Amino acid sequence: MAGSQLKRLKASLREQGIIGPQKSKKQKRQNAEEQKARPDKRLQRGEALASIREQFNPFQFKTNARGPKFEVTTNKPTNDRAAMAIKGRPGLAKAMGEERRRQTLLVEMQRRNKVGGLIDRRFGEDDANLSLEDKMIERYTREQQRAHKKSSMFDLEDDEPMGGLTHMGRPLFDGDEDEAPVKDDFDGEELPSGDESDSSRAERRRLKRQRLEGAAGEQEEENGQPERKKTKKEIYEEVIAKSKLYKYERQAAKEEDNELRAELDQAMPELQALLFQRQKPPSKDEKPAETAMVITGKDKAAVDKEYDIRVKQLAADKRAQPAERTKTEEEKAEEESKRLKELEEKRLKRMRGEMDEEDEEEDEQEEGKSKGGKGAADGDAYDPFQTEEVDEFGLGKGVKYRPTATELGFDDEDDFLIDDDLVASGSDLELESDDMEGEESDEEGAGSQFGSDDDEFVKGILTEAVIKDPVFQTDDNAKGDDEHGIPYTFPCPQSHDDMLKILEGIDVTKTPVAVQRIRALYHPKLDSKNKERLAKFSQVLVQHIAYLGDRFEPHWFPTLESLSRHVHSLAKSFPIEVAKAYRTHIQEMEQERPLALTVGDLVILTAIGATFPTSDHFHQVVTPAMLAIARYLGQKIPQGLCDYATGTYLSILALQYQQFSKRYVPELMNFCLNTLCSLAPEKPQEKLGFFPVHEPAPGIRIRGADKTTIRQLNCSDCQQKQSLSPEDGVSLKVAIASTITAILKAATETWHKLSAFHETFHPALLVLQHLTFKPNSTHLPAALTSKLIGTISTIARLLQLARLFRRPLELHHHRPLAIRTYVPKFEDSFDPDKHYDPDRERAELAKLKAEHKRERKGALRELRKDAAFMQRENLRIKKERDAAYEKKYKRLVAEIQGEEGRAANEYAREKEARKRKAAKGR
Amino acid sequence: MPAAVGEAAAKTAVKRKRHENGDIIKKRTKSDANAHDKDGNLKARIEKLETEVQESKKHYNNIATLVELARKHGTDAKAALLASEALCRIFIRLLAAGNLVKRKDVSEKEATVTSWLRDRLADCRGALLSMFQSKKLASSALMLAMALLKAEAQHLSDREEAVFPRYFFSDIVASLLESPIGQLREQFSEKFVDEYHDIRFYTFEAIRTYLTEREDAVDEDIQITVFDMLISIENVPESSEDLTDFYIEPPQKKKHPLRSLSQHKKQAQQAWLALMHLGLSKEQRKKVLDVMAASIAPWFTQPELLMDFLTDCYNSGGSISLLALSGVFYLIQERNLDYPEFYTKLYSLLDADILHSKYRSRFFRLLDTFLGSSHLPAVLVASFIKRLARLALNAPPSAIVVIVPWFYNLFKRHPLTTFMMHRVPRTKEERDLLESEGLEDPFLPDERDPMETRAIDSCLWEIVQLQSHYHPNVATIAKIISEQFTKQAYSLEDFLDHSYGSLIEAEMTKEVKKPPVVEYMIPKRIFTKAGPVPEENDSLLVNLWDFGSS
Repeated sequence: MAGSQLKRLKASLREQGIIGPQKSKKQKRQNAEEQKARPDKRLQRGEALASIREQFNPFQFKTNARGPKFEVTTNKPTNDRAAMAIKGRPGLAKAMGEERRRQTLLVEMQRRNKVGGLIDRRFGEDDANLSLEDKMIERYTREQQRAHKKSSMFDLEDDEPMGGLTHMGRPLFDGDEDEAPVKDDFDGEELPSGDESDSSRAERRRLKRQRLEGAAGEQEEENGQPERKKTKKEIYEEVIAKSKLYKYERQAAKEEDNELRAELDQAMPELQALLFQRQKPPSKDEKPAETAMVITGKDKAAVDKEYDIRVKQLAADKRAQPAERTKTEEEKAEEESKRLKELEEKRLKRMRGEMDEEDEEEDEQEEGKSKGGKGAADGDAYDPFQTEEVDEFGLGKGVKYRPTATELGFDDEDDFLIDDDLVASGSDLELESDDMEGEESDEEGAGSQFGSDDDEFVKGILTEAVIKDPVFQTDDNAKGDDEHGIPYTFPCPQSHDDMLKILEGIDVTKTPVAVQRIRALYHPKLDSKNKERLAKFSQVLVQHIAYLGDRFEPHWFPTLESLSRHVHSLAKSFPIEVAKAYRTHIQEMEQERPLALTVGDLVILTAIGATFPTSDHFHQVVTPAMLAIARYLGQKIPQGLCDYATGTYLSILALQYQQFSKRYVPELMNFCLNTLCSLAPEKPQEKLGFFPVHEPAPGIRIRGADKTTIRQLNCSDCQQKQSLSPEDGVSLKVAIASTITAILKAATETWHKLSAFHETFHPALLVLQHLTFKPNSTHLPAALTSKLIGTISTIARLLQLARLFRRPLELHHHRPLAIRTYVPKFEDSFDPDKHYDPDRERAELAKLKAEHKRERKGALRELRKDAAFMQRENLRIKKERDAAYEKKYKRLVAEIQGEEGRAANEYAREKEARKRKAAKGR
Repeated sequence: MPAAVGEAAAKTAVKRKRHENGDIIKKRTKSDANAHDKDGNLKARIEKLETEVQESKKHYNNIATLVELARKHGTDAKAALLASEALCRIFIRLLAAGNLVKRKDVSEKEATVTSWLRDRLADCRGALLSMFQSKKLASSALMLAMALLKAEAQHLSDREEAVFPRYFFSDIVASLLESPIGQLREQFSEKFVDEYHDIRFYTFEAIRTYLTEREDAVDEDIQITVFDMLISIENVPESSEDLTDFYIEPPQKKKHPLRSLSQHKKQAQQAWLALMHLGLSKEQRKKVLDVMAASIAPWFTQPELLMDFLTDCYNSGGSISLLALSGVFYLIQERNLDYPEFYTKLYSLLDADILHSKYRSRFFRLLDTFLGSSHLPAVLVASFIKRLARLALNAPPSAIVVIVPWFYNLFKRHPLTTFMMHRVPRTKEERDLLESEGLEDPFLPDERDPMETRAIDSCLWEIVQLQSHYHPNVATIAKIISEQFTKQAYSLEDFLDHSYGSLIEAEMTKEVKKPPVVEYMIPKRIFTKAGPVPEENDSLLVNLWDFGSS
């Protein structure tokens, strides 16, 4: 658009329709009418003017002088391109800053060096007419209103918030809603808006709109389909409109429903009659009368009353709840088998040492945490130079007689906190405990299928009546005894001494009864503290089992069994406590008498084997117990027959522990073979295998036992005896030999699938054969020899089989390892503005620094501007002052001059007058 | 100056004694007032005797009285102590004054006095040495004797330089060795032998002369004490420059034996040889071997002298062999000892007891060194692997834990041996044969020569079996051989020092945080036999053990 400024101005004014050719009268009238319909015409005009004014001021915008440097495609809306081109609006910014300073800094400057005070803006503080109450009430209401206004701004469900939604003080939806649709957000721009007091903002918005319009115009030219991006405001308005619409629809539906209900109400008597007729057989005499009455509808009031009562009854009725369907026997059995199967699967999983995913994740996290120091994201790829954790296998620290390298400070492997669980944990305990709880609730429910659950132990005591009986709630009340002299009530023992005190005078075999009663009395359902008490009690019970075991009598074993089962049952509720009790026992045992186990220890180890799953890859109680057993078997050099007997018991136990998982116990083989060699009447001529042989103490070898009958070993054999009669000794030796033979047989059956079965049991075969050879067999009873021969044949057969099924090892059919790549990492969507610092802390630091720098610069600039502003203001004030002074000075001068003039005039006049007088006189 | 030092030493000893006496006196109640008085008298008397000797030559006879007193330590210990202290002071002063030096230019009378004084000095020494036998006095007697030794060295001869009184010192050492008090020797080693290089030198000499002189008469106890004493002498000097700490300043001569490292070593070597000539008991031999490489062999200028001893020990078998191994290795390493069939011998050491022995970790450290070379024939390495795998079948967990990572390292070093883990039958005939007849282990366990055992044709079924070891961690370690060999090597030190105790300890230190799994089925029977119900099976325990219920 060529031409002078003036021409251009004119053209644009015309374009906007502000000036134009002169209009006829008719046109004017039409215009006036239109204006009435669109009251914002004038506003539009003003806006257009302002935009034209801006267009002609080239200093209003800061833009790229040569336009954008490169043509780029972005995902930002295209209509913002104009906005992107404008870098800033210096005039506007300056005006804004100036304004802000005037509001803040200037005020401060003016108030400087002046004694100030508070301005009391409280309502009615200065009003003497208002009473205190009125003031308070008024203030309270105002406060409430203020709070309410804020909260209900977008409260869609509020019925009439502030008399309808408003925008810029105007109601959004008037009566003529359909006529005035959602208004453009810029329409009300010129109205005084509360929060935008400064005009600059309004100005900016106006500019924006202008730009938008321009852009839209361009687009329209291009494709004729304007697609404007909705502003937030618009979206909100739409949302609000929609919600209102839905609300209205709901109301309409409700009304409709109401109408329908009214209709139904009308038809109610008939319907009711029909219903009642259907329900009640006509044979009854009362009801028909009633129904008849209802049908006839004679007594209106009575019918209404009746109806009300019925409605109330219905309301008061307990709502029917869906009942669990009664399961059939098959279903129950199926469920049970499913549950068992699940548990079995879990056991197998634990046995293989597989972890649950959750656990694994946890572990990995822990590992990640502990490895955090390393920081490098090396992924799964193997790093040959990465040092491995010292305790990778969870072996612990080893024997401490030499300082380790770490202690000497040679390497920093401390960085890896030892994660013992890496290998050794992996039991799905959390899940288990959940299950357990489930089980618990099952048990507490309608009695589970196991006869061996909680119910069995407290059965017959914990009946409803008993729970309610106050006698059972109190501890020391009325100690009634039953026919065995066992009181019905006990205090709950919290230590083993307590337990002994309580059980004083009660026959040991009756202990289970007492335990049963205690468990019933302190059932966790009865008192919240009982859970704790029972947990303690379960630990005491473990101690008591060991105690009884140490002082055992042969007829106590059913009692011990029953107590062990009690502990087992308690362990379901208190697994941690019971496990701790067992672990404490093992620890004490290992510290005080690792190689001199008592019968109590044996009983405890047996109980552990029965209580906990011994097949687990790792178990907090079983693993130490198994280690303790192995330690005895491996390290004890038997001195007397009792040592052999104890070892035999432990061998049986070890084998029983491994019955399911079939894990190999080298110590068991060592002990059994060594024992057989020691008991053999003659020393073997050559080495029978790689097991260590200890020369037996004198008198251990079996001599002249050919007439002895074979008996079974019992626990009293494990106790140190002062003296054994020769017959007893021989019979004990034969018993040990026979039991060991049986163990070996059981071991072959357990382990015959192991890969080195041949190597493991060939020595056993040799030892057994050695026992059956001539010089030995003459000393042994025939029954034992035949047993030996039987075992030999079994082992020989299995060895043959093992040989037949042996194949060369093929352990390394692994997928070949990928060679580690060193290709640099490429960022798919690289952004040069972004920082790709792999070191997170450093990146954050850089970010902070940049921000600090920016802020600092900004602050400096602001300060400088402030200073300039102050200077300016000071100058202005000074100028004003000077001007005032000047004015005053001038005024004074003028005043004086005036007076002087007047005086001069007066003088001149006087002079003139005198002259005249003199002339007259003359 | 040195005289002053000696005196000071004597005085400190005296002071300490006095102090102790004071303590004792304090403790005494008044009922013992008489004894107190007596003590006071005694003390006053001895002091008087001492001052008189100082005052004039007339009272030299007091010395004889004091010697008498000192000799009677068996009856009156306190008096003897006081007397010997006084004697020491007197003699140190006399020595410093040169009264005991024999001079030619003096009159006969004075020469007589001198020789008389010398005799008394000898008496005094004798008294001090005899005090070594008494528990109460031994320690202070030793201090006094050493102080006297120093004074004698400096002033007894009229030469400028100090002369070490060897005879007196060898007497001291002899009395020390014969003394029943162990602490005394400890004190001696601690305060003198470890501190002063010349004392160490002369101690070795004295021990050697002592042992050689009474070769036949040395009894077991003495042998043990000598052994302990020699063992306790550590810190072999590195070079002649290190020899700086002397109790008595040696002659300035550069060539003097005290200033030469080789002479020191020679003395030590001779002392050790003298001891070994006596013939050691088994226990002693074990002890000697235990410290051989660390503290004995470095003393030897000619370690070859140990060769016979070591090879004998090595050939004797058992734990002695194990212990001798490190000595033999020292010789091989340092002295280029050629030991024929070393590996055969080493292989024969791998017997049933080795993994149960308490020297296991020590042995493994050495074994790791011996088999560390990558130039060893794979057949030999395979034999070692296979033999140890066999042994592992009967080994405690702590041993298995070492063996398997060690195997791993060997496999890495000798890739040929990995066929023991992975051997795929190649031909159809082979496969058919396997199907029909199975496989006999080609390994010959009784073969003594590791080159002939055919272990390389065998497989490690044993380790695969240990993958189902009862201890979870051991099982996991055993699994490393069937996983990919991605690690360079395992550091053996991490696995060496374990035992049952430490394994249990490791388990026990873990807190129980998660509730442990409990067997979901409560067993009906634990100790009692099942009833006649047919489906119930008795557990192994109930079958094999009598719990009194049957």
